[in-house]
Amino acid sequence: MNEKFARWNVLFIQYMKRDWKKIIVWILGLGLFSGAFVPAFEEIGKGQGLLGMYETMKNPAMISMVGTTPIKSGADYTLGAMYAQEMLLFCGLFAMIVSALHVVSHTRKEEELGLTELVRSFRVGRQANSLAVITEMLLINLLLGAFIGGVMASFSVETITTEGAFLFGASITAAGIIGGVLALMMSQIMATSTGATGSALGLVGLLYIIRAGTDVSNAELSMFNPMGWTYLTYPFTKNNWTPLLVAMIFCIVMTVISFVLEGYRDMGAGYLPEREGRATAKKSLLSVPGLMFKLNKGVMIGWLIAFLIMGAAYGSIYGDMQVFLGGNELMKQMFTQSGVSIEESFTGTIMMVMIGLVTILPIAIVNKLFAEETRLHLSQLYATKVTRGNLYWTTICLASSAGIAGVGLASAGLGGTAIMEMDQNSSMDLLDFLAAGYNFLPSVLFYIGLAALALGWLPKMGKVIYAYLGYSFALNYFGGILDLPDWFSKTAIQSWIPRLPMEGFDGTVVAVMTVISLVLMLIGYLGYKRRDLVEGA
Amino acid sequence: MTEIVKVQGLQKKFGKFQALKDVSFTVNAGEVVGFIGPNGAGKSTTIRTLLGIINRDKGDVQIFGKDVWKDSLEIHKRISYVPGDVALWGGLTGGEIIDLFIKLHGGGSKEKRDYLIKRFELDPKKKAKGYSKGNRQKVGLIAALSVESDLYILDEPTSGLDPLMEAVFQEEIEKIKQAGKAILLSSHILSEVERLADKVAIIRRGEVVETGTLDELRHLTRSTVTLVTEGDVAGIADVAGVHDFVEKDGKATFSADNEAMNSILIAATKLGVKKIESVPPTLEDLFLRHYEG
Repeated sequence: MNEKFARWNVLFIQYMKRDWKKIIVWILGLGLFSGAFVPAFEEIGKGQGLLGMYETMKNPAMISMVGTTPIKSGADYTLGAMYAQEMLLFCGLFAMIVSALHVVSHTRKEEELGLTELVRSFRVGRQANSLAVITEMLLINLLLGAFIGGVMASFSVETITTEGAFLFGASITAAGIIGGVLALMMSQIMATSTGATGSALGLVGLLYIIRAGTDVSNAELSMFNPMGWTYLTYPFTKNNWTPLLVAMIFCIVMTVISFVLEGYRDMGAGYLPEREGRATAKKSLLSVPGLMFKLNKGVMIGWLIAFLIMGAAYGSIYGDMQVFLGGNELMKQMFTQSGVSIEESFTGTIMMVMIGLVTILPIAIVNKLFAEETRLHLSQLYATKVTRGNLYWTTICLASSAGIAGVGLASAGLGGTAIMEMDQNSSMDLLDFLAAGYNFLPSVLFYIGLAALALGWLPKMGKVIYAYLGYSFALNYFGGILDLPDWFSKTAIQSWIPRLPMEGFDGTVVAVMTVISLVLMLIGYLGYKRRDLVEGA
Repeated sequence: MTEIVKVQGLQKKFGKFQALKDVSFTVNAGEVVGFIGPNGAGKSTTIRTLLGIINRDKGDVQIFGKDVWKDSLEIHKRISYVPGDVALWGGLTGGEIIDLFIKLHGGGSKEKRDYLIKRFELDPKKKAKGYSKGNRQKVGLIAALSVESDLYILDEPTSGLDPLMEAVFQEEIEKIKQAGKAILLSSHILSEVERLADKVAIIRRGEVVETGTLDELRHLTRSTVTLVTEGDVAGIADVAGVHDFVEKDGKATFSADNEAMNSILIAATKLGVKKIESVPPTLEDLFLRHYEG
């Protein structure tokens, strides 16, 4: 092996030792999530279930969320076909995100922390670290794919063939690897690790949204999308391995480009230029709110734009939905019977999904305060007359404002495009969309309350809030497909809120949830005020 | 003299680990107190307690006669602090961060800031992530010294500074001391403490084992004596209070208890003194004496 990669194998073995617990959780968690729902799907498929699901899944709204199927008639819609359509894209998306986070945190992040500097002072090649991390990521994803294939095949369901099961697993492997190499690429281009993480996740989100559009209009176009090379393998129906080949070529090309880019850049630098800064501070910076805003500005702007685009992308489906309903008597009857229009029904569901994503931003802002604390950034501030209450409540207010703005942008993006797409035929106006969005605001506040509680009492648990959000999100996402018991659905906080506009507004729930959230914030404050601050831990 | 800092019987546990067992010392106005001890002895933990960043388990800890935990805000209006490891926001420039710290402290002067930036030769336009350790330290120092305070808490303030900048720092501290302010200086650079400090507190495994002025501490410690005599110098080895006696080519080197100086001199004059040198212990000797054995 070349000089540049000297002793990458030593690093690789070291990383496997360091990460083995994380790897086990990763493979078991994601693997079981992807492969073990077969019995639940068997339940749905009983009797006329598969046929009903086939009709439901023809709805462009559903396709935009979960992906397409090559099946052209309800009779051919097997359990395997259903499983692949409803699960593969979503699980692949998860695999991409986890891989991307892993790669950035062990390449760009370590450069920033100064670890790379130390490692490079030894007899280790300049690019050995990247190669070791990429190899580790590759191995994890291969194991993950094999595990998923094994789990699915073990159910020995007739329409879930062994070949299909391993293709399903391999597609998720491909998704994970694509996520990893995109992150490696962004790690070279961006100037900071947060920039690399943000842009890699942003890119994944963008690919997802683009494929929502192409899936609905013309699924062949999705084949030009790297994300398409994962779920368009159509396991259990077409068993098409070709997209995986394309994905592998793409990954190899991206990896080579990344390594070349890394070879030409200095450690700690990116390719996007850095401007010279200001010698004195602007007035707007000179206060705790000013500082907190400045520290969160980049992340906030990035996410808020993403929310607007996300809303607009889902809004663009409304036109297709009406066309779909015009040509499908069965579905038309269903909606007429229930007395709810198709756009109202979809709005209720998609709003819950979007607000779940919007919630990430406020949680990130609350967690940021603890990150600043452990990074010693605030040491010198604590010794001034700045109170802990000031830091705490500024953060809570900023997080809440970000939540309010996020909900507004996502709802307006959705409503604005939807109304345009439906020209005049809409039973909803923009206010209905905003009402449907802000109806979920108490759940956003609730998550802020949880994060605040963690910040005050058990700050290391801040990350767990994301896990709960992910859990609730998955529950809501699949809640409509799987017939979950009520108590189980209700473990996700969003499930308590009625979905406007197809259900009525419930003032009591909104009020109670808001009060609980405020109480959580207050309890968090009591803890934050008196706990020892953690420095350098 | 006004008592600015008073620490009495301070204790702090982290889980099962007793970080501070018994820390007691005082700092008066117009006084520089050197706070010395090896890594992990509890210096930074003590300082964080003083700042109200962490709460103590036991003990009486006051600044300006106020409780450091309950009245931390009142206290913070009149103190300046430089942490041992100055961590800065990578995306802000040094100049922006200094301005922010000055504003949040309240009552700094622009002239003082610009003067210090010039003296410490800091480029305020650079983003903080591009600063070396020494430059980050300068940002912390400039922010702390640009404001008017009555107490300065400095945790290894010169780590990473080059010798020229160290000298600038010492001059600035000298000025503050002349102005009657109190300074708590935690440091490993013992020559610096020796030069600046009036009093020293030595901490070891969470306990302050020695406090006092340098003179007082020196008195407790043996001086190093070099002696050449006309007669056989070996006889000196038997005088009470002579330790670690070594003789080479008629030249004797030993350490001597300060109380025994007189009897040593009497014994030496009997042998006919050709040359005698007595060197008082350096702070380093004091320090090492506490940690060896």
